[in-house]
Amino acid sequence: MTRGLLKPIVLVEDNPNDLELTLVALEKARLANDVVVLRDGAEAIDYLSCSGSYSSRERGNPAVVLLDIKLPKLTGLDVLEYIKRDAELKSVPVVMLTSSRQEPDLQRSYELGVNAYVVKPVSFDDFVRAVQELGGFWAVLNEPPPGSVRFNR
Amino acid sequence: MDPAGPIRYASQNAAALIGYAQTRLTGVLLRDLFPEAAARRLIEQLGSIRQPQPTFIDTLYTASGRHFHLLAHFHDGHHILELEPAESEPPVSLHLLYDLMTTFMERLRPISDPAEAMDLSAREIRRITSFDRVLIYRFDHDWNGHVLAEDGHPDMASYNDLWFPASDIPRQARELYRLNRVRLVVNAGEAPAALLAHTATAGQPLDLTYASLRSLSPVHCEYLRNMGVCSSMSVSILSRERQLWGLITLHHRTPRRVSYQVRAACDFVAQSLSIHLDALEQRQELTERIRVKSLTTGLLAHMAKEERFIDGLRHNGSQLLQLVAASGAAVFFEGTSTLIGETPSEEVIGLLVDQLLVHGREGIFHTERLQEKFPHLDEFRNCPPGVLATSLSEVHRSYVLWFRPEVITTVKWGGDPRKPAEPDARGMRIHPRKSFDAWKETVRGRSRPWLAAEIEAAQDLRSAILTIVLRKAEEMAEMSEELQRSNRELEAFSYSVSHDLRAPFRHIVGYAQLLRESNAGRLDDRDQRYLEKIADSAQFAGTLVDNLLHFSQIGRTALRMRAVDMNLLVEEVRRDAVINLDSRQIEWRIAPMPNVFADPILLRLVWQNLVENALKYTRARDFTHIEIGADLREKETHFFIKDNGVGFDNAYRDKLFGIFQRLHRMEDYEGTGIGLANVRRIIARHGGRTWAEGEIDRGAIFWFSLPNRGELEK
Repeated sequence: MTRGLLKPIVLVEDNPNDLELTLVALEKARLANDVVVLRDGAEAIDYLSCSGSYSSRERGNPAVVLLDIKLPKLTGLDVLEYIKRDAELKSVPVVMLTSSRQEPDLQRSYELGVNAYVVKPVSFDDFVRAVQELGGFWAVLNEPPPGSVRFNR
Repeated sequence: MDPAGPIRYASQNAAALIGYAQTRLTGVLLRDLFPEAAARRLIEQLGSIRQPQPTFIDTLYTASGRHFHLLAHFHDGHHILELEPAESEPPVSLHLLYDLMTTFMERLRPISDPAEAMDLSAREIRRITSFDRVLIYRFDHDWNGHVLAEDGHPDMASYNDLWFPASDIPRQARELYRLNRVRLVVNAGEAPAALLAHTATAGQPLDLTYASLRSLSPVHCEYLRNMGVCSSMSVSILSRERQLWGLITLHHRTPRRVSYQVRAACDFVAQSLSIHLDALEQRQELTERIRVKSLTTGLLAHMAKEERFIDGLRHNGSQLLQLVAASGAAVFFEGTSTLIGETPSEEVIGLLVDQLLVHGREGIFHTERLQEKFPHLDEFRNCPPGVLATSLSEVHRSYVLWFRPEVITTVKWGGDPRKPAEPDARGMRIHPRKSFDAWKETVRGRSRPWLAAEIEAAQDLRSAILTIVLRKAEEMAEMSEELQRSNRELEAFSYSVSHDLRAPFRHIVGYAQLLRESNAGRLDDRDQRYLEKIADSAQFAGTLVDNLLHFSQIGRTALRMRAVDMNLLVEEVRRDAVINLDSRQIEWRIAPMPNVFADPILLRLVWQNLVENALKYTRARDFTHIEIGADLREKETHFFIKDNGVGFDNAYRDKLFGIFQRLHRMEDYEGTGIGLANVRRIIARHGGRTWAEGEIDRGAIFWFSLPNRGELEK
């Protein structure tokens, strides 16, 4: 596997500290994928649907979307709902990354068909471990979720 | 007649009285009866009469030497002229009458006792009429007459305090008394003169409702004769609403004529008496109303002070009784009942309330004869017959009831009221009763009647309570809305705390870690330790936030109750707790415990906290002893966990369960101080208690209780 053949990881995060720490964690996890950083829900949808400022980007879905729940403009739940309703996007695995333990969010995410949910642990080591596991599972192995159509390009 | 036209009706004796040559006056013109000047004046006077009350217009002197008072009235399209013989009556000057009336009024004015006012009136009327006996009586609700005042000749039988049954004066007769206030029968033994009609008007009877000289019905005359009375006069007493309040009845043993002026004076006395009695009654009512209002205000003030407003009634029983002068009261409100004073049993009152509901009576119900109202209900036999009830709710069985005891009274009837009339031997005609001897009746099953002011007081209290109930309901609705809003706010707040407060702690930990990694090898031991402290503190703060949120969730999440095998639960918790504690020597003594009814997830948290605490505070011991067991009591079960750890000073045992309360130094025993607060909160939500005992360096024992399932179902 070489870089370029791998589909990118999309990270949607508005908090600069969380963004930096997550990028470090991804780096530590030694994932070979490119990471596309998007800063709010609206930008995420533009990117995923190849519209707005992303209308000219190379077509293709990411390996995984790491999505913060609390985002400006459209929330992570709005983006998740958009992805899972879109016929072309719905097979893209989505992992919610959030500070929140609140039950309604969790409940709602599962209802919308989230693939995984990670409450960002306070311990940085734990966080690196979590990102590694996620990345390893969703990005490198590039296995579509059970029951979904295999991604061909 | 039409004053200028022919006479249409005339009594049979009229022609002879005025000395007219023909036998009958019908068809004759007035101007043919009298000299021209006199006739013209009479026609003119008659023509000006327009009211139905007979008015004196003139004195007529006949050629034969007789003279008559002429009374005229107009009714039903006819002018009616009545001739009263005036020669037997000594002339009464208006001046004298005026004096009589002013004196009477002056004496009546200061009297405040109704009985005294009636006595005075009876004496006054007897004085100006010289009749043998004057009675003043009042009608009750059923039109029985009760003699309240009497002035009579010593030879006459006394009728004072006697009751005359309603059947003595039928409804039509009462109506006539109301319309025509003064009636005189000079001689009840005399045959009445027939009324003759002019051929042109034959067949149409003349309405003599307002006539003074109209005879009584034959039955009434017979009634008077049975009483030994020859002459009788009556003056009606009307109430403010122009209803028949009572009668002043005059009796004389021999024929007696009373002039029109004297009759008018009697009417004046009767109407003055009526106005006076009415004023007295109003004054008494006003006093009563003021009394009742101040009691109502007092009760409302008491209700305002109580947390549950209805307690304001319950705790002030004597005022509640005084309000309507009752001897007992019952307050039924939202499923609770309070009995005050003399009342029937709660079951009987319940039945009474059922009856009131069945009869669909809203607001107020009152009776002074309960047993007569519900004769088929044996349960009411021993109830007080006076009941005043007011419903406090359209939906619930909420009532205030008052009771009045039976008052046994003796009623003296003027003759047996069961035999108002007797058929004659052939059963052809009904004769009025012959005996007026007092006949005593003992009246049972009745209380003193409820007065209008008392019923109104109950109504006032009812509407005041309904207003309070309504306002309380509105307040409750507002409060519950307020509560929901604050709950939503709390949830939003928890969310923010959870999301926003954790993030900076996480960042601190993350950057401290990165700093350490990027400077690996360049940091000395002290720098390393500082960085570690920063990371540890931030991590601890993050845990604190998590625990605090968890604590607040425990208070809010719904309990999912089910039967829980306590032995199994404790064993699972124990197994999890000892993972990684292989190095320690721990002796567990776990006694069999009864099953409980609880939320298993929360109960597991309780045991986790208690078991982990026991292990934590015994870790300095070479040998750890932990004992777990239960004590089954009548209503609850006590569970305990006992250890041989460092213990604590009993002086602080109440602080143990407070949030963020710690009894040990942080460096000795880690923790956020929230575990036991969670335990207390969970147990409290299950309806149980938590407590502990300790001894420094000897160990501790923690207890919690849970209600037994039977108690929970209660």
